[in-house]
Amino acid sequence: MKKLITIFLPFIILSFFQGFTDPVDSFGDSGDKFSKKISEKTLGDESIFQPSYYLSKSKMFERIDELQLALFYMKIAGALSPDNPEISEKMSDLKSKIDIKSGDSFEKGRKFYNQNRFEEARIQFLTALRYKPDHDSAIDYLKNNLIPKEYILYSPKKDDSLKSISEKFYKDPGLDFLITYFNDLGTDAEPVPGQPLKLPVLEPDFNQTAIDIRQKIIAAKDFLEKKRYQEVVDLTDKILKNDRSNKVAIDLRNEAFYQAGTRLSHQEKHFEALNMFNKITPGYKNIDKAIQDAIHKEFLKAELLLKENKYEASIQLAEKILSHDPSNRATKDLINTAHCQHGRSLLIRKKYAEALKILDETDPVNDCADKIRSAVQKAITSQAESHYLRGVKYFLNEELQNAIKEWEKTLELNPSHDKAKKNIKNAKSLLEKLKKVN
Amino acid sequence: MSKQANLILIKLLLLNLFLFSACSTSGPIFGKHPQTRVFEDFVLLKTVRGDTFSSLASTYLKDPDKGWLIADFNGITTLTPGQELIIPLSPLNKGGLKADGYQTVPILVYYNFSENKSDKMSVSKDDFGIQMNYLKVNGYHVISLDQLLDFIDYKEQLPEKSIVITFDDAWGSIYDIALPILIKYGFTATFFIYTDFIGGGKALTWDQIKRLSKQGFDIQCQTKTHRNLAALKKNESFKEYFTSVETEIIYPKKLIERTLNKDCKYLAYPYGETNNLIIAILKKHGYRAAFTIGRKPTSFFVDKYRINRSVIYGNYDIEQFKRELSVFQKNELK
Repeated sequence: MKKLITIFLPFIILSFFQGFTDPVDSFGDSGDKFSKKISEKTLGDESIFQPSYYLSKSKMFERIDELQLALFYMKIAGALSPDNPEISEKMSDLKSKIDIKSGDSFEKGRKFYNQNRFEEARIQFLTALRYKPDHDSAIDYLKNNLIPKEYILYSPKKDDSLKSISEKFYKDPGLDFLITYFNDLGTDAEPVPGQPLKLPVLEPDFNQTAIDIRQKIIAAKDFLEKKRYQEVVDLTDKILKNDRSNKVAIDLRNEAFYQAGTRLSHQEKHFEALNMFNKITPGYKNIDKAIQDAIHKEFLKAELLLKENKYEASIQLAEKILSHDPSNRATKDLINTAHCQHGRSLLIRKKYAEALKILDETDPVNDCADKIRSAVQKAITSQAESHYLRGVKYFLNEELQNAIKEWEKTLELNPSHDKAKKNIKNAKSLLEKLKKVN
Repeated sequence: MSKQANLILIKLLLLNLFLFSACSTSGPIFGKHPQTRVFEDFVLLKTVRGDTFSSLASTYLKDPDKGWLIADFNGITTLTPGQELIIPLSPLNKGGLKADGYQTVPILVYYNFSENKSDKMSVSKDDFGIQMNYLKVNGYHVISLDQLLDFIDYKEQLPEKSIVITFDDAWGSIYDIALPILIKYGFTATFFIYTDFIGGGKALTWDQIKRLSKQGFDIQCQTKTHRNLAALKKNESFKEYFTSVETEIIYPKKLIERTLNKDCKYLAYPYGETNNLIIAILKKHGYRAAFTIGRKPTSFFVDKYRINRSVIYGNYDIEQFKRELSVFQKNELK
């Protein structure tokens, strides 16, 4: 027996510790670090599984915006070359890129959702999820918020009974059996204040809520005819709160904003009009054209202000246009031109410092601004020189105080004017000596 | 050493032998691959003679049916010895999302069949054979409703070309005409039956349904009497309507589960009609999903109780059939 033990004991111990953990049991996220190597067997050809190959695949996927695949291939490269700091850095860059892109899309989606623009919201949530497949909030919106509920949750008030709730919600106290059925209550149960009840939303044929919706739609149409747009919006908002895909309500709401915006446009209140137009579902009627028209009319105003040399007003207006249409190239050009012309005007009026400040606000690659800036610099140098020479004249006339003043003006314009610095020092020293002599 | 210690040692030895033999039965982690690197998230390997997608999936993913995952990920349809492969060990794209759109799963619904002549509601044997052959030849993966729902629940990835086949009403012709063709191509399918029809003149019998179930086909519910669940009958009070639809939903579920000893958790709405009340009842009674009729493609973010299915009519030619097979919806996701 002892012999047996001697022979088999090492095998027994080895078999218990060699590990029967299966690497494929887990389907979870691998976490932030490189994938841990579990086992390896490479015989013969050593050239396979080269990190550089997977690195280049990762870059290719990053170029085409498939960031999860890029990250996956980067993980392979990292796992094959765990000590490579470059891969580690690139992986971390990719992860932050994924976070930023998914976060941006999610926020856009939430904004659309809050504006009842559900199709656009869905696309943004899907985009967030494409970048980050475990984006829980995006999943929640897609799987819960964007799918119509068959019931609403009602929180009972004090003194509510099942019959009164049924009356309130279904306009029929006799439908209280639905409340007991869907909330697993006894027939004699009383609602508990604050304890929510599920109330199924019934369809038009036997649903008073739907009848209410129909009545609200009729009222909203009536308000629209009377051009009482705010009331249309209030009513349709109420309908959409219960039935967010109600097409008639969505159309009525769009039409109210469209007509209100058009009316404001006719009154030359283009920005107020844009605020209305921006609440309309994209693609509704010719909304894109209406938006562009309103923007163009404000652009013409900004252009006119520029022609009248009202630079600041022109720039202010143009910036307002950009807040509505951030990619408007013509408006960006107009702002640059206004800065440039303003700079030129200040140059002519010898307000060099102000001119430089204005020119600094132009696009860095703006030729016009560069030219004016260099003219301003030239003028500053020339004026500094003229003060310097005037100082020299005073000095020669033994008017030391005036000379110092002129050189100080030189230095204000050109702080690196060495001669002026030296002359001030000498003149001040002379003045000290003269004081002592006197 | 005491007798007891000897006994323990012998037991340990036996356990050890058992563990060793277990390993050799299921295969070691490397399988037969001389060049393999196994990491937490993926396996890199060079294929050898005799490898199939299914054998690789069996070894590394513990599921021979997941061979498609290896094929799809590596963008290949065949294997040759010496090929370098990546096997991801977890689903990378559960929603089938890409920069230019998202995955959709066509769900086909057939009603009746005929030997020769077809009409709108009945597909001829030849046409059905041609359609199934088209799916096979063009690499479609016919999946079960459970697989579809795991995809919809954002739990599992599906093959890019996944498709579901369903049959409504339980016509007897399904058994005689469609079934042999399904078996020939190795396709699974779901049969939605309305239980009052079973055993009637042209309907399937319970014996046939039991056989279908034993063969691995999925038997699910299409109510008791095939009434329109979304509409009140003439002179029917709301209370009567409610009691009636509740029975339509509960009764066949219990009957199917009792008869076949399998879960009945999916419902096909007669005439594709439903409403919020019906959905609330379905949820209360544990139905996992329900199916209507419509051509809007099924994505993972679909409403589980309003899943569309495309009707394949008897007068469809192959081009019309192909139009129902959309597996991707274009939509920029950037």
